[in-house]
Parts: sequence; C-alpha cells; structure tokens
Amino acid sequence: MIKAHPSDAMLYQYAAGDLSPALSLVMATHIDMCKHCQQKVSELEERLCEKHLVNESPALANHDCQRMLDAIFASEAPEQIICDQGPAMITLEGKRFHLPATLANNADRIGDWSHMVGKLWRAPLSIGSDDSINLIYMEQGAQVPEHTHRGVEATLVLNGTFNDEFDSYHDGDFILLDASRKHSPQTQMEDCLTLAALDAPLHFTSGISRLLNPFSSLFFR
Amino acid sequence: MQSVSNHASQRKVMKGAQSDSAERAAQLLANIAETKSREAFSELFSHFAPKLQAYGTRQFGNEQTAMDLVQETMTNVWHKAHLFKPDRGSPSTWIFTIARNIRFDLLRKNKHRKDEISADELWPILAETNDDPDDYSLDSSILMQEISAYYARLPDAQREVVEKIYIEGKSQQEVSDSLGIPLGTVKSRTRLALKKLKELIIEND
Repeated sequence: MIKAHPSDAMLYQYAAGDLSPALSLVMATHIDMCKHCQQKVSELEERLCEKHLVNESPALANHDCQRMLDAIFASEAPEQIICDQGPAMITLEGKRFHLPATLANNADRIGDWSHMVGKLWRAPLSIGSDDSINLIYMEQGAQVPEHTHRGVEATLVLNGTFNDEFDSYHDGDFILLDASRKHSPQTQMEDCLTLAALDAPLHFTSGISRLLNPFSSLFFR
Repeated sequence: MQSVSNHASQRKVMKGAQSDSAERAAQLLANIAETKSREAFSELFSHFAPKLQAYGTRQFGNEQTAMDLVQETMTNVWHKAHLFKPDRGSPSTWIFTIARNIRFDLLRKNKHRKDEISADELWPILAETNDDPDDYSLDSSILMQEISAYYARLPDAQREVVEKIYIEGKSQQEVSDSLGIPLGTVKSRTRLALKKLKELIIEND
C-alpha cells in the first residue's frame, strides 16, 4: 500500500507539463505504480483541458485555416510510437528488479552501475537535460550520513524499504525533500532500489550537475 | 453501423452543450480513423484550432509558435485518430494532452540535445497499442552480417539511412542533419527498411 504520494500541486504541474524532465520521469514512474495518482492525473487533465481549451476563442483567419488544413492533409504520417518492449528487468548484485512501464520504455537511458561508497550503488539515467536523475541502490544495512539537498530532490522507492528520521518508505512511495530538510536514509533487513531526481539550480554547469546526485554532500562537503 | 453514422452526421455541427459537442467530436474522430474523412477533420479543426491557438498564445506569448502548436497537434489528430479511446476520456481532453506534449517538446526544442527525453516517452498517449510485439525486435536480435545480403536489396534512400544508423552508429537526429531531410522522414525510412528486411528474411527463411 503506497502511503507517500506527490502533493496535489505537484500532480497538477506534472499534468500541465510544467515540471522538469527529470521530475516528470520520477512522477510518471510513481504514477505507473499508483492507481490513486493515475486517477487523479486523469481528473487533472480534464480540468486543465477545461481551463485551456473550452473557452470560446476567436476563429482563425480563413486563409490560415486553409493553409494548415492543406499542410496537414499533405503531411506524411508521423512515425509510429511503439512502447519499447525492452528489458523490463534490471540485474544488480545478482538480484533482478522489475521496472515500471515508463522506466522500462526508457531502459536504454540507464547507464552503468558504479559503486559510490559503503553499500551504495548508482546508475545515472541520461535524459539529455541539465537536471540529474539516478537509480540508487542501497544494500541491506546501508547508511547514508545525514545530509541536506541542494535544490529539490524527489525520491521514489522502486523496490524494498528504507527509513529516515521521519518515516519508513516502501515500494511506490514518493518523497520530496527540499534544501531545508536534513535526513539520513538507511536500510535495515531489506535492500532498496530507488529512483531519485535532483532539480539542479540553473547556475550549475552541466559538468558539475552530472556529479550531483541525491547524496552529493558526501562528495562535496 | 451505416445508419448510426448517418444519424450522427445529420446532427448540426459542433456547437451547443458540452456533452453534445463531446459526442460529436468522438463521432468525427471515429470517421477520421475509419475513412480518413477530410470533411470530418475540417469540422473538428474549425472547432479546436482556435482554442489550441489561444492556449499556445498564452503559453508561448508568440503567435508563430502558437500556430506551430496548432499545426503539430492537429497533424497528430489527423494521423492518430484511431488511438483515441472513448472509454478513457473525452475527445477534448485527449486533444489537450497531445497539445500539452507538443508544448513540452517545443519549450525545449532550441537547446538541441540529441538524447533529450521527449514528452512521448513521459506520456505515451500516442503509442500504438502493440498488436505486433515483434515488429521492432529486429534491430537488436539479428546481426548485421546475417542480413547483409538482404540489406543490398533495400531502396537506396532506406539503405542510406540504415547504414548511417546501424553501421556508423549515428543518431536519427545526426542522420537528419547530415542528409538534410526531416527527422520524421529518417524515422519512417528506418521503420520501412526494418520492415522490408524482416519480410525478406521471412521470405527466404
């Protein structure tokens, strides 16, 4: 049972297409796992449509209409989008993890795993954007020293359990932390695979933002 | 079946109450999907294009980009009407989500990052419901050597694209840039070429 969901405001921004690509990807993956938020997003899309498309608007000039219609009728069909049947599983340390649909469709963006420190592993996702997004794997009994975040960090539990000072989080739980929240995640009897996106402030150059990750303070303090 | 659509087409054009207009729009989308009816599309266009333009103008503050949004959205509606599923929501919400996706991509277009994640990958509303799952498994499952004989039989335009992507390892965007042809054309040529290769392989198996 998922108990930690994105806020309504964040779901609204997601449905409007206003979140960064990295945060959108974490949201989309949570929504894959969460019927409750799927339903909410459908309702929000309806509301957004009413807000943006239902009002009476002045008609287009006739020549604009005709020009566009001609162009559309003459256009080549856009390429078909087939949801990639790519691997819906990833393997790490001999364990296999199931990927939710959005991640499975973007499995080719998942980079190599690297060992960070202690019992932590990381694989970056390359999404061609300035903000950073990583799969983070915590083995059993892993501990991350207390740290804060630069910018906003969204973490989604894909599989397993981790705790911090506030709560414990399980499959599908979505946690948003900003710079004011200190926390020290740890795992106990169970390992944990998460997807974490950091909304990098604009002044980071792309080279440095690559290094940013949910536990960046480990490397930067 | 025929009498249903005759009945529907006798109704007056899309105005009036919202539920009426939703029903009408759904009927028009069905006509477009089944018969590629230009008449149906023109009616749908005159209903939605001004609304999309107003949305685009508010979002971009730029008339030209707003018109691009209208055109790209309605082009998808024309070609992908069969993907509208009446049981999943209203036609206007479906069209809005297409526009939302195009806006998402248009806002990032100028940065030109080749591997950038696109709205279609985040909200796959225009993905085909996959009736033929092995259609695309070809590129990863068959080695180039095995298909070289068939490869020579592709039309030049398709072979050129496949060569650059699968032998030289270029991205579709790079092929589009180097050949000076639209990205959509690169993608459709790739798709056609892979399909053709598959047919040749099955034929000669």
